[in-house]
Amino acid sequence: MSALGNSTIDGGALAPEAVAQNAGALERTWSTKPGVWAWVCTVDHKVIGRRYVITAFAMFLAGGIEAALMRAQLARPENGFLGADRYNQIFTTHGTTMMFLFAVPMMTAMGLYFVPLMIGARSVAFPRLNAFGYWTYLVGIGLLYVALLTNHAPDTGWFAYVPLSETLYAPGHRVDVWAQLVTFTEIAALCAAVNIIVTVFKMRAPGMSVNRIPLFVWAQLVVAFMIVFAMPAVAAGSTLMLAADRAIHMQWFIPARGGDVLLWQHIFWFFGHPEVYIIFLPALGMVTPIVETFCRRPVVGYGAIVMANIATAFFAFGLWVHHMFATPLPELGDSLFTAASLVIAIPSAVQIFCWIATMWTGRPRLTVPMLFVLGFLFTFINGGITGVMLASVPFDRQAHDTFFVVAHLHYVLLGGGVMPLFAGLYFWFPKFTGRLLRNGLGKWHFWLFLIGVNVTFFPMHILGLDGMPRRIYTYLASTGWGPLNLLSSLGAATIAISVIIFLVNVVLSWRGGAVAGPNPWGASGLEWATASPPPPYNFAYPLIVSSAHPLWDAHAALPVATGLRTDRREVLTTTTFDARPDARHSSPRESIWPFYLALCMGVVFIGSIFRPYWVLIGTALSLAGLFGWGWQSTRPIERERIALPNGALVERT
Amino acid sequence: MTSLRAETSVADLPTVTFGQRSLMWWGTLGFMVIEGWTLALLLVSYLYLRQSVIQWPPAPSQSPALLMPSITLALMALSVVPAVVVARAGGRLDAPAVKRWLVAHSLIGVAILILRWWDVQSLGVRWDANAYGTAVWMIVGFHTSLLLLDVLDTLGLTLCFFVRRQPVKSFSDAADNSVYWYFTVGIWLPVYLIAYVGPRVI
Ligand code: HEM
Ligand SMILES: [Cu+2]
Repeated sequence: MSALGNSTIDGGALAPEAVAQNAGALERTWSTKPGVWAWVCTVDHKVIGRRYVITAFAMFLAGGIEAALMRAQLARPENGFLGADRYNQIFTTHGTTMMFLFAVPMMTAMGLYFVPLMIGARSVAFPRLNAFGYWTYLVGIGLLYVALLTNHAPDTGWFAYVPLSETLYAPGHRVDVWAQLVTFTEIAALCAAVNIIVTVFKMRAPGMSVNRIPLFVWAQLVVAFMIVFAMPAVAAGSTLMLAADRAIHMQWFIPARGGDVLLWQHIFWFFGHPEVYIIFLPALGMVTPIVETFCRRPVVGYGAIVMANIATAFFAFGLWVHHMFATPLPELGDSLFTAASLVIAIPSAVQIFCWIATMWTGRPRLTVPMLFVLGFLFTFINGGITGVMLASVPFDRQAHDTFFVVAHLHYVLLGGGVMPLFAGLYFWFPKFTGRLLRNGLGKWHFWLFLIGVNVTFFPMHILGLDGMPRRIYTYLASTGWGPLNLLSSLGAATIAISVIIFLVNVVLSWRGGAVAGPNPWGASGLEWATASPPPPYNFAYPLIVSSAHPLWDAHAALPVATGLRTDRREVLTTTTFDARPDARHSSPRESIWPFYLALCMGVVFIGSIFRPYWVLIGTALSLAGLFGWGWQSTRPIERERIALPNGALVERT
Repeated sequence: MTSLRAETSVADLPTVTFGQRSLMWWGTLGFMVIEGWTLALLLVSYLYLRQSVIQWPPAPSQSPALLMPSITLALMALSVVPAVVVARAGGRLDAPAVKRWLVAHSLIGVAILILRWWDVQSLGVRWDANAYGTAVWMIVGFHTSLLLLDVLDTLGLTLCFFVRRQPVKSFSDAADNSVYWYFTVGIWLPVYLIAYVGPRVI
């Protein structure tokens, strides 16, 4: 109690009528009105977060359809199903979709939905920025998929290596589509990252000091910092360099004029390697609360897991060069980056040991989320081992650009990213919909998915060692690669069936699943302290926290803070480290400007593909939007309590 | 649901705060880091390209002229004065002073923006001439886009202060605007050193 300073009161138990009245007023203040206009203007982080999650999942399905097409093409030797040009577009769109439009946005979307709930906040720090990020992302999706359907999709791989992606070898607009799409997703990711950082720094529940932050939130925070340093690299590379080379004859990557092709690879992988961890760390963050909940004990080694997250982020930036072992770089660099690539396995191992210890000393229950966690451990460890193999330069020179690498990256991404994600979706589904997913269908989904992933990708190791190159649309029968490829394609079909089962489960359960109630699993985090799904204002009162597991450690009644206004949107901010209540801030209402501004950005970036002057037109329109946005945030004048920089507290209108 | 117990009241906390107690300050800081980092990456790329040639700038390009960029630099240093005054006056909720010095700040900002035209001419190389020209143009151009945004932001804020009575929170916004200005001016220093002075020494 004294942790909160001298404002401590003991108001005793709150009367249920008072609580209900408070909730009614908050409902009126915070809810988004019905209607299409309000739907476009909403700034509720849950509405946007849910939209984001659904859109990102739709991208997983789109990427999955592309994967199925590729596997159909590769199922037999000398197959004529797709042809070279279509195949190139599809593998590029698959990689681009999965990395830029599914995995990263999915992870940030889960953060935008859950971080405020887990730290006991009413909203994110910048609700309109949040809406803007989502719309930008959606415009980017539109760009790529219109291009794919009109046979203009990029075809130079998800990393768009120069000089292949320069005008000389890639005329037309395919690569421009890729370059600008990437920038859309980076803008969206950066908006989310800033939002998450400030939300976690300033809006945690009173008492949630840094050593009580939930581990999922820690992971999101660390990843947000990674995004801040990784995404500018790819946005600079794709728009300020590659697209500029192509549109206005800049010379970044053109050797004849002093440009350098390796500069592209440095810039791209400086982002590209951390990106894997940007996907992977939030996934690991989902594992911890699931393991805790179903083993019914706090995780072993909270501090170690936090340190492992930070160490991973740190090392991740130091090893982009391991994607460039096959390029002519100084030998010393090679060994340095090999060492760094091996070292980064350590923090991941630390986390894995913490979970194993937790399971060992707890009483695990094999629910569907737990099954996916076990599937993750199994699959991911496999991918980790091939990663350590690839970190060795002589081996990488052999396996480079073969299906061995495809096998490795999918073991890591599906094992380390998608399986924890499914675990998380089963676990938190009630917080999206108020209902539980069905158990039986969940088990079918899990087993078929696990089998499918291994049947699809294990044979690729062998194919790769046997010399099958990646990014080829077909191969000769005399290579003998036919049978294993067929097996792999059957595995892909199994994955497809399992995902369809999941979709059926979602549809059935959303409509008619068991009603979950606030805390169906008996979990310990604050997100479970409110209704499922949460009301527009998240919490009737800010909860006060005095441990890392507030719902397990609270006794008779949950302590809360009173005094936030209910007649206008107000959020509580707290001090950065020890989370003492610090100020009340108003939170914005619905606004059209984020949507408008995202469309104008669309004009800037998509227009630049065709005529550079569209950049000017789009910029002018955007500036008008920025002005509208700023103008709107000037509220009607009323009495305020002001903390002046010199410490004085005054009241004024 | 479990019952709730009132343990503290936050009703006495302020609703308007300055600096790191305000959310907007943190948001501004976040975007400063992103923009500064992007610029840093461009500068590193410039230095990276420099490594692979013997002569810098590569012939026939010549080192940029220094006169106009140095004048701009001096004016930028000067512009910090009104920005500081606005921030201080904002912290005292002193509306007349904020208005006066916002106007001064805006005027100097516009002047810097105009001078930037000659800065670019001083580079003496076209962006499509070679990789060197590409790199300096992009670096200066990127900074100019930040400058433009910041000047427009200042103009918009000034306009708001004059057109209608502002809520007190705007004083905090005015202080944050100054912080962003220090950043825009501050990151010009490495650009000036590397892009204008650099070719003579590296
Ligand atoms: C759902 C099952 C999936 C299947 C069956 C599948 C299949 C494939 C295949 C066959 C390729 C190789 C293309 C080639 O080299 O010719 C490929 C490439 C790739 N996949 Fe997947 N994939 C799946 C899921 C994912 C996921 C979840 C991600 C990422 C989160 C992902 C990311 C990538 C990337 C980055 C590439 C490289 C593309 C390129 O070389 O440009 N895939 N995938
Ligand atoms: Cu890597």
